[in-house]
Amino acid sequence: MLNETIGRKKKRTGKSFLNGWVWFIFLLPTLLGIALFTVYPMIESFRLSFTRGAEERYVGFENYQHVLGSDSFHQAIFNTFYIAFFQLLIVIPLGFIIASLIHSLRKGQNFFKILFYIPNITSMVAAATVFLVVLHPQGLLNYVLSAFGFPETIWLANPVSARWSVILLASWHALGFGIIINLANLQAISPDYYEAASIDGASRFKQWLYITIPNMLGSLTILIILGWIDGLQRFTEAFMLGGHTGSPARSLYTLVGFIYERGFGGLEYGVASAASYLLLILILVFTFINIKFFRMKI
Amino acid sequence: MKKKNSTLALTFLLLFSTLLSACGGGNLSSSAATATQPSAKTGDSTAAASPAETAGLTGTLNVQMIGGFTEEDKTDPKTGLKTTGVRVLKEEFEKLYPGAEVNFVLMGWDSYNEKTQTMLQSNAADVYQLPGIATFAEQGLLEPLQSYIDRDKFDLDQYFGGQVEGWKAMGPEDTDLQIYGLPFIGDTRVIVYDKKIFDDWGVPYLSKEPTIEEILEKAEKMTGKNPKTGEQNYGLTFNKSDAADTVMNINESKGGKWGTGFLWKDMELEFNTPTMVEALDLLKKAKEYAPEGVLAGQGAENFLTEKNNVAINLRAAPGFITDIKANGTEDRYDAALLFVNPEEKMGGMFAGSPFSIGKSSTQKELAWEWLKFSSSDFFQQFMWDNYRNESTPVVKASTEWASVKEIPQMSVVLDAMGRLWAPRYPYRSGQPRYILSENVEKALLESTSSQEALDKAQKDAAEWIVSQK
Repeated sequence: MLNETIGRKKKRTGKSFLNGWVWFIFLLPTLLGIALFTVYPMIESFRLSFTRGAEERYVGFENYQHVLGSDSFHQAIFNTFYIAFFQLLIVIPLGFIIASLIHSLRKGQNFFKILFYIPNITSMVAAATVFLVVLHPQGLLNYVLSAFGFPETIWLANPVSARWSVILLASWHALGFGIIINLANLQAISPDYYEAASIDGASRFKQWLYITIPNMLGSLTILIILGWIDGLQRFTEAFMLGGHTGSPARSLYTLVGFIYERGFGGLEYGVASAASYLLLILILVFTFINIKFFRMKI
Repeated sequence: MKKKNSTLALTFLLLFSTLLSACGGGNLSSSAATATQPSAKTGDSTAAASPAETAGLTGTLNVQMIGGFTEEDKTDPKTGLKTTGVRVLKEEFEKLYPGAEVNFVLMGWDSYNEKTQTMLQSNAADVYQLPGIATFAEQGLLEPLQSYIDRDKFDLDQYFGGQVEGWKAMGPEDTDLQIYGLPFIGDTRVIVYDKKIFDDWGVPYLSKEPTIEEILEKAEKMTGKNPKTGEQNYGLTFNKSDAADTVMNINESKGGKWGTGFLWKDMELEFNTPTMVEALDLLKKAKEYAPEGVLAGQGAENFLTEKNNVAINLRAAPGFITDIKANGTEDRYDAALLFVNPEEKMGGMFAGSPFSIGKSSTQKELAWEWLKFSSSDFFQQFMWDNYRNESTPVVKASTEWASVKEIPQMSVVLDAMGRLWAPRYPYRSGQPRYILSENVEKALLESTSSQEALDKAQKDAAEWIVSQK
């Protein structure tokens, strides 16, 4: 009797294992893809980061030393952080304000959601091409600014204004995402809180300060963390407006631009790989600090 | 149970067939290997083999080309003209070598060096278009061509002067420059100017070989309100992305040169010589006569059109000929030659593309025939007729073609090609190129003096070179 029970149990376990195992087969192509196109290149890049030249001569940590001591890498770090910081400073508060305005609308919410989200689904290359026209000395931006009495600016010929051009483009592109995330969170806040608060006599401002803001921290945190990760990997906007040297005078030269120029411009795969790993470490450390700072639970 | 097993077996089969079908696309190397064997013929047909076949010139030849080439015909989006695909070259070559089959690997300019490196290492083609030839020769990935040239007594004089020398490079074992590629696409830069603006201002046209001083003097006169139209005119413009090349070219006209050596290990740069500083100061002066957005690559978009307001472009690619034809402004624009070093009689960045043979190619003889074929009138004329925007002829015979003669500016373009600095600046294949560009730009932005900028360029570039030794 006991043997029979054990036999049945074994059979059942074997059957469920087989059932589970069959499903794993369906994951196999994805796992193979990840192994081949993500894991293997990462390992290979790590190996390359300790080599130099086409003959892949082992040089120890020389590439890392070279990258960390390079003026252009320092310039790339400065540019990347500068652009990312100001972009987030614009996108997150503005996204929240616009989301709040859309949320307060009784009609036409979907129209505005679509309107503001369109830039986010536009190809960055196409958007940057249009921005080149907007930022032209005789372009739309200068035309609008001149109406307010501002002098003509050659946006892409001056390092500071060139960086702000990228910030403008990146903010325009990312704003829709910020609005949608904020809006989703706003809609998730129970109206009961506001009802109870208004019965207790809380003003609209106090409701916003004590109910909306605390409930928005989750989405604001995720926007900051994702925004920084995205910002540290910035390339397309800067490349489109400043070319692969980050013109003018390396002001649009980002960390990924450094990797691109060294790897693809000069075939210095060792240096580019070392810089890639340094970027990875930077992103990990920065994300860790962000998570700790905002006490985000993952 | 039986049903379960068969389901499992079917699942496996499905997965494996998916994987195999994903991995199985176009295995060129295996087909090439098969094709290199003499074609299986029977009886009389073997005896009737063509001379080419008996010479072993059969099989598949994989030819890599970079740029806007397509195998099939297409319509040029800019001019609306029909362009014949490179299939015509394939058909002609296969007619000449009946046992041969040409397969093109056509790709764009994006990341072409990396793609070419991968292809060379994996023997993905036999013939390569190699504008970055020095990098690949240095790695021992290319077949030296001198023995083929000597054996066939191949006439190198058919090319414009400097075209073969320009592509010379050094392999890992070489002690001096060798031929690893033969030119098939020519390129150069010329000074292009708008005759109407010169006429409006009453300024004499540029001479055929102007000095930088002549250009600056005339540009200064033509900067301001046009006396006839009243619109704002600018004396000149230049391309911000190759401002460093313009400085180098002005430096050459002052008797300077980029440096010496070819491989990194024995290269000495001359980025901060007095002539380089003078050249950079002159370009800074030139900036005063350019549109405000010149350093952002803006302000001269109408150059070559009817609406143009810039008198001189310091560096224009030969493709301007197509543009003025498309814009109907052929009579309005003319060209002048770039500057040359008075002693060396050459100057300006050498450009274009050569064809080379991969060291590990299994079709070297056939590949060599393709290289020879690329110098033929048929090949060169086809390129000129269909890909004029990216290909200028490299053979002297082209000067006699009616289609070349009917374009007056072409004589300047072809002259310019024969005066380019050869071999091409080797420092441009590494970081010194970007270091020089960055510092020239800083000087042009007035954030540093010319001397300081070039001192920094020299120091940083020299340090980088030391790290490569």
